[in-house]
Amino acid sequence: MTQDDGSITRDPVAFGAWLGRQLRRKGMSQSELATALNVTRAAVSAWITGRATPRIENIQAIEEILDLAAGSSETRDETPESSGYVAWHHRLAHSDGGRELGNPAAFAFDSSLSIAAREATQNSLDERWDKTRPVRVRFTLHELTGERLRRLQEAIRWDDLAPHIEAAGDQKQKVGRMLADGLRELRETGKLLLLRIDDYNANGLTGSEYEDGRFAAVVRRQLDSHKKGIAGGSFGLGKATIWGASRFGLVVMNSTLSEPHEDLRERRLIGRIDLPWHELNGVQYAGPAWLGGRDPLREAAARSWWAGERTVEELYLTRGSSDPGTSFLIVGAHDPSGEATTLEEMHMVLVRGLATHFWASMVAGRGQAPMLEASVEALRNGQSVVAEERVDPYRYEPARARAVRAFLDRTTVSQLVRAEDVVEMAVPLTVPPSKSDPQSDLVEHEAVLLVTPAHEAEEKPNRLVGMRGTRMTVLDRPVTGVPLGAPPFQAVLLAGTATGAGAPTDEVAEAFLRAAEPPEHNDWKPTEDLTATYARGAMTRLREFRRAAFAKVRSAVKPPEPVAQEGPPAILRDLVSLDPTPLPRTKGYPTVKSATGEVDDSGAWRIRVEIKLPEREDPWVLRPLLRFATRSGPKPEARWVELSAESNCELIGDVLVCVARERSAVFTGVSDVSSHPVAGRMAIAEIDLVQAKDGSQ
Amino acid sequence: MKQIAPYPVLAGELTMTVQEARLDDVALPYGTISQQDHTVGLHRVDRDDWRTARLSIHINAPRHELDAGPWYSLAFFATASERRTNTHSAVKLMMGQPGEWTGEVDLHRDDHFGRVQLSGQLVATVNDVPGRVIATVARPWTVDFQARRAAQGEAVQTRWVDFAEDPHLAWCRSDPWALITTDDVAILNLNSGFDGLRAILEGTKAAERPIREGLAAQIGTAMWTALFNEAAHQAEGHEWPEGWRGLVLRRMLPDLFPDHSPDDALREIVNLGVGGVQPRVMHAAAKQARMPRSLGGFIRSLQKIGPEDE
Repeated sequence: MTQDDGSITRDPVAFGAWLGRQLRRKGMSQSELATALNVTRAAVSAWITGRATPRIENIQAIEEILDLAAGSSETRDETPESSGYVAWHHRLAHSDGGRELGNPAAFAFDSSLSIAAREATQNSLDERWDKTRPVRVRFTLHELTGERLRRLQEAIRWDDLAPHIEAAGDQKQKVGRMLADGLRELRETGKLLLLRIDDYNANGLTGSEYEDGRFAAVVRRQLDSHKKGIAGGSFGLGKATIWGASRFGLVVMNSTLSEPHEDLRERRLIGRIDLPWHELNGVQYAGPAWLGGRDPLREAAARSWWAGERTVEELYLTRGSSDPGTSFLIVGAHDPSGEATTLEEMHMVLVRGLATHFWASMVAGRGQAPMLEASVEALRNGQSVVAEERVDPYRYEPARARAVRAFLDRTTVSQLVRAEDVVEMAVPLTVPPSKSDPQSDLVEHEAVLLVTPAHEAEEKPNRLVGMRGTRMTVLDRPVTGVPLGAPPFQAVLLAGTATGAGAPTDEVAEAFLRAAEPPEHNDWKPTEDLTATYARGAMTRLREFRRAAFAKVRSAVKPPEPVAQEGPPAILRDLVSLDPTPLPRTKGYPTVKSATGEVDDSGAWRIRVEIKLPEREDPWVLRPLLRFATRSGPKPEARWVELSAESNCELIGDVLVCVARERSAVFTGVSDVSSHPVAGRMAIAEIDLVQAKDGSQ
Repeated sequence: MKQIAPYPVLAGELTMTVQEARLDDVALPYGTISQQDHTVGLHRVDRDDWRTARLSIHINAPRHELDAGPWYSLAFFATASERRTNTHSAVKLMMGQPGEWTGEVDLHRDDHFGRVQLSGQLVATVNDVPGRVIATVARPWTVDFQARRAAQGEAVQTRWVDFAEDPHLAWCRSDPWALITTDDVAILNLNSGFDGLRAILEGTKAAERPIREGLAAQIGTAMWTALFNEAAHQAEGHEWPEGWRGLVLRRMLPDLFPDHSPDDALREIVNLGVGGVQPRVMHAAAKQARMPRSLGGFIRSLQKIGPEDE
């Protein structure tokens, strides 16, 4: 943007910045230029700060002195990279003979591709520039072979670097073995995998070359978390995982800055390789090296350079838009955990990892933009292998995403009724005073707990996920002791500024929980940072907070009515049943097989009864009963006025003695009208058989 | 027992279905109605203050038999009755298609307590006598005011209690299990304070299965013996006791008196007294508890383990 906006006099500030850059590159001081031009040092100083501009003859002289093409001060061209100006600059070994054989920060993490993606994305979220728009993060896996590979190697000056990597590939050290392995594989397969991580609408690598700032935090320093405000440690320890994702510890960066540096914004480039201590051609090197312009003022240091568009193209670092942000090119990318090896597998690991860690950051309320958009794509020599997939939180975390969405839309409820309901509850967090200000009061923060029934297809229900600030998943724990009869559920705990309440206590809670996070950002637990920062009782407060959250989850999913009776142990279930057992088809006792009859003119029942008898040695002795059916209550009995045996039985009084071993018997009877409770015609009669003992009553 | 009517009755079957249940006009989920078990579970957790349950029912009778028979002025009466509260009510339904009746039965919560039997009778004018029952619903429905779900079978309630901490059970705190009965329920209490009892009963190891079954059979035998004696003691006359007592007797009496009809067996119990039938009770309880099978499995498992241990 500065290159084409007219004459020097119209923009003295831009000219001054350009002149300063050229002097630094040349290693020339302001007074040396003043002497060469025969002007005062104050005049040169005035040009550089933009307070004045040189006359035309001095401008021509400046171009000559600085070995620049005529007119380059007008166009403010930068020195082309092809001039040999950009190269690898290796740090020499410590004079005390100390040797670093690996990056300590890299060992603080379980290394895996998924964690590298988490750390990179977390940094991007923390560095969001325009807070009304999402940070867009793109992961591009790109496998190169043949001429494309060679062209990239030329662009990163691979041939200068390779001897150093080889020298550092000491088989006796862990890091060395990995390097040797990487080189061997590159040689054998002729394939190199690049992983490019872009963020857009992020701050970019702003700030000066060496002093505090984002650039120095990423490029120069180890273990500097450059913490500002609520950040989870942007470009802190976690950046080591980005270097860890390269077999060679080699990353090249292209940044578009949100605030101009040296009056420029686009295509600030620098590369860095993290090698262990090594010796090459009799010279001992500390390990790290930087790809950039030589800094004449600092021995063996390299400065970032403002690259041309072609260079950026050759480095596969062309950015998709002019939105600020940074592109990291991880050269020789791999999954350090060894889990994913093919492009397809690595694509899946990245998508899954982003979904697991950032699903909540990707959920937006109605009509709002999310905090984060993320996508993953895989290419081979420019051809798509797995098409770009925008990570969809609702696909990977349906229940949890629904919970956060309901919270953002204010559609939460106080009790679970339907399958899609989201219950919202408050969980108190008491933050103790910090040690630096022991007089301050306890701060009460209210975290938001969301509980919703799990989606039916979810593999791991009944878990509590906790997050703060940027809504990256921090805590992820199973909920135990879930009440009997509770539906499968998912719970989300939003703490600190993630509650979106905007209360001043939110910031206090945010800082407290950040201090309670280990470097992996996967828990809230007592850490050294926590005990170092806060007054006594911090650990107890944290424990209370966690316990309260889990207890609230359990209470939310508790069935509204306690299960009336605890089920019996399975082994007893059949033994305590009171359900009627089906009656056997063949009865063990005499039954009425058929009963027919009518009421005669006198009103008496005349009935013929066939009896079915189980076969047995002893004769069945039966007393036939005639009763009148009722809807309820005892059934009135009528007496017989006459009974007569028809077959296979004989009558003794009103008792029927059946012939032994017979299967059936028949008798007839006439009822005694005077014993009828109602007129026989008006009622339904019932015939029953009662066993009589040996013919007696 | 066999019924005979002094007039022509319907030979075909009368079927009844409950199609919808509403609590104060709010439709209940269909899961509260079980067509298979002919039950409706009315008890709802989130509605405690309902007044009236309205059931839509549908009746089917063999149409051609009705057309041909000597019956006039057909009418169907749906009946709701509960022995416990001695409540009986009847509603006359409208005939839609010939041989089909539909209508609604209201059950007022104040009138009922537990299980209401929903049935019905088809009445007609026969030989100039009006209002004669010519058919009864073959398979009545049960509307349960206590059950949460339809199709919940009746069972002895079972629960884990630490006897030492329960005032009603402290007297037998060292026992592994204890039975408590009231008119409404029979509860089998398992002592959670009894070391190892729960671990064995609720264990899932296949290797422990014979032990688990053996223990269950022992609990079952003890429980059914006590249940029977309590129920039989309450039996009077020819009437089956209500609730769990009746169910216990109906399950066990056929085993006590295989050569007696259930009604006859009940009379035997009343005549002989509980004390006179204990040897038979032992047999029936062991059968309820599936003792022969479980004990057999237990003994066989001992034989299997034996040689390996030596």
